[in-house]
Amino acid sequence: MRRERDRLSVEWVKLELLRTAYATRGGLLAGRDPRAVIGWYLILAVVPWFTHNVTVLVGLFVVCAVAVVLSRVGPLILGLFVIGFVLEGLYVLFAAWLFGGDTSTVLALAELTLKLATVSLASMAAFVSLDPEKLSDALLSLHAPAMLSFGVSYGYRMLPVLMEEFHTVVDGHRLRAAPLVSKGFLGWRVAVRTATTLVAAFYPLMLNTAKRTRTTVEALETRGFTYAAEHPDGRRIRLAALRADRWDAVFLGATLVLVAACFAVGRAFPLLGGAA
Amino acid sequence: MTSTEAVPAPGPADTSAPAVEVSGLTFRYPGADHDTLRGVDLRIDRGDFVAVVGGNGSGKTTLCKAFNGLVPHYWSGTFRGRVRVLGRDTREMSVAALSHLVGYVYQDFGNQLVRPTVRDEVAFGPVNFGLPDHRERTDEVMELLGVAHLADRFTWQLSGGQQHLVALASVMALRPGVVVVDEPVAELDPARANRIYEVLKDLNRRLGTTVVVIEHHAEYVARHARSVVLMADGAPVWHLPTRAALDRAEELERHGIPAPQVVRVARGLEPAAPPPLTVAEAADRLRGREVLPADRRADRETDPEPPGEAVAELVGVRHGYRDVDGDLSVVLDGLDLTLRDGERVALVGGNGAGKSTLLRLLTGVKVPREGTVRVGGTDTRTVRPNALADRVCHLYQRPEQMFLKDSVHEDVAMFPGGRGRADTDSLVTAVLDRVGLSGLAGRDGRLLSGGQQRRATLAIGLATSPALLLLDEPTSSLDTASRDAVIAMLDALADTIRCTVVATHDMHLVAEWAGRVLVLDGGRVAADTDPAGLFADTALMESVGLVAPEVTRLGTALGVAPPPLSVPELLTRLGGVPAEEVGERA
Repeated sequence: MRRERDRLSVEWVKLELLRTAYATRGGLLAGRDPRAVIGWYLILAVVPWFTHNVTVLVGLFVVCAVAVVLSRVGPLILGLFVIGFVLEGLYVLFAAWLFGGDTSTVLALAELTLKLATVSLASMAAFVSLDPEKLSDALLSLHAPAMLSFGVSYGYRMLPVLMEEFHTVVDGHRLRAAPLVSKGFLGWRVAVRTATTLVAAFYPLMLNTAKRTRTTVEALETRGFTYAAEHPDGRRIRLAALRADRWDAVFLGATLVLVAACFAVGRAFPLLGGAA
Repeated sequence: MTSTEAVPAPGPADTSAPAVEVSGLTFRYPGADHDTLRGVDLRIDRGDFVAVVGGNGSGKTTLCKAFNGLVPHYWSGTFRGRVRVLGRDTREMSVAALSHLVGYVYQDFGNQLVRPTVRDEVAFGPVNFGLPDHRERTDEVMELLGVAHLADRFTWQLSGGQQHLVALASVMALRPGVVVVDEPVAELDPARANRIYEVLKDLNRRLGTTVVVIEHHAEYVARHARSVVLMADGAPVWHLPTRAALDRAEELERHGIPAPQVVRVARGLEPAAPPPLTVAEAADRLRGREVLPADRRADRETDPEPPGEAVAELVGVRHGYRDVDGDLSVVLDGLDLTLRDGERVALVGGNGAGKSTLLRLLTGVKVPREGTVRVGGTDTRTVRPNALADRVCHLYQRPEQMFLKDSVHEDVAMFPGGRGRADTDSLVTAVLDRVGLSGLAGRDGRLLSGGQQRRATLAIGLATSPALLLLDEPTSSLDTASRDAVIAMLDALADTIRCTVVATHDMHLVAEWAGRVLVLDGGRVAADTDPAGLFADTALMESVGLVAPEVTRLGTALGVAPPPLSVPELLTRLGGVPAEEVGERA
């Protein structure tokens, strides 16, 4: 018996991606100036690589985990992260055992995993809080090329369109392709069919999208996109809307204090490894 | 301002110059083997409301792209002659600079929206050009076009009609003197298309904006345009005031633009009089004519056949979708319906009434949240959709989404071939022959014209030999000739398909083809009737935002009951059947 599901269905995945991309859930970081968010992200994405002190890393992990909770990261992204984290952990144990390593091998690998997890958490918290306009304006203000900042916002613009198109094409395959005679051992036929369908769906998707973008490119030309790349007035107006207030300073300051505190605690109570 | 060339002063230099002046324009696309425009001479006065009409491939769109400089600056083909817009030569200005003089709304307007939110979209032009009053312009134009309440919405959340208004607002934010709108009716339902035309008329009247529309629906031309340019083979045949243009109905018809129904009725009765432009005008003129009793009514209501066997049944169906905020928007609620053998069903209702959802439930791609959908006696919950596909075929609104393979032939053969039907080859040949695409079978479906694409999708559907055929807007964005071909084909399908359901806004299709009409409103079937019954119920029509064909409204205004569904029918009732109308199907 099939029934309509609100979770773990294709519709749900589509909605979750949109919610993530367009920051519809709000949260702590969503209210901040996008440049402050990017700054915050850069701090937490870089700092973990400067230490081998596990206490510091655990501290940073906790800071990022709290940020993820406060940023209201959705269940899909979080779920994927947890699955990835657990698999990585299992892999570390397996690899250490296979290659005859001891505890120190496990610890070295675990440390790397912890660093990667911290950076992943920071990325989730930051990008779930930046909607396309904020992100593209922030990139523009940080002197990224105009094409990049526009590309980012246009990519977001196309996201729902592409997902819709893709779903339609895949549905077409589901309805019109030959039905499977049997699922095969462990459902391998289903897996092969799914994989070939996804690949086959890519070609119509790209052609249909290419057709759409012709209009888009002409429209960009008539709306002064190229002009704006050569003249600074547009950039000035766009950036005037970005305004960092004292809460952004407080936010960045608090982040630095927390990072410093992690290091201080790490120095005082090193779990493993040496000093920072 | 760093460049005086790129951004012209708000007011054009020469206020006496016409809006558009084209002289001796010849243009050939790079790599093409013939000229798309050949020796065009045309003058459009300031403040005019011009309709550019002509068959597919007559050069309408290319001509209009020469107004805003995309030809020749963006499409760099062979360009001879001169185009002056508001007194300025397009070759001497960039496309960006010209956008302050000419705005352009595309036929596929959805793709012209490039920013995430409505406000940002409208402000995009003024901000790019660094205009100091960008904020005032944005607010003003959103107010003017009635989209201010959408300012903070994402553009992909909007309906088609709203997207069109936003696209128009975003070009109007640069305050151009001329705006070109490419086929507004093609992708919108009649109520929304009317709204776009009202807005354009308002811009034309209040701001004096010169409006150029590319259009092949003559009734919109008659109602709204002040003058008409007929294009054929890359050059204007003539440019005349609307009434004079419609007086040349035969010539328009030769170029694939059938005259509006009111014009055809009036000419059938009073061939010498000037053509009426609106239903009201025609009704005034023809009022007082004697209405003959309805002798043809007998053959429309042939003996009431016993209801056929049920092909599909929906019982107490409730379905809806989660939106991005997590709320459930219920589309269908407590819907009961039986579709029977031998029926031609038109499914009508405003946008969002649940027509597409109903079709998707019937294919089994979706199962209802509550209630039961049975197709051929099978509960759709108990089988996979590809098992149901043997009985049900759904043809999407946008044909290119049906093309999964590299050629039309492969697409048609995909279903029967995949299911190992022994006669696949002969079936595919027969089906392609039937839709008249045998010669194009090797081509990629995406590269065909709109009408050919529609026929190719019909072939895909026919090759699945379904009992129940579902079509979503099969006539949208087709010119009249292709549209008639599709309707004729639907007519001919009756022998192979037990029940056909068409979801549509096209009331001409409803009038000419349907036997049963289901009106969806508020999540359930608001009316289950026939075309005449639908058009007679004006209160219902109004409440669901439908507009009856002109001939039906004219007949109603003249007191013809039941309302006529076609031009010959009304002519008969008013006592005149001219030779030219006899051949048409009733």
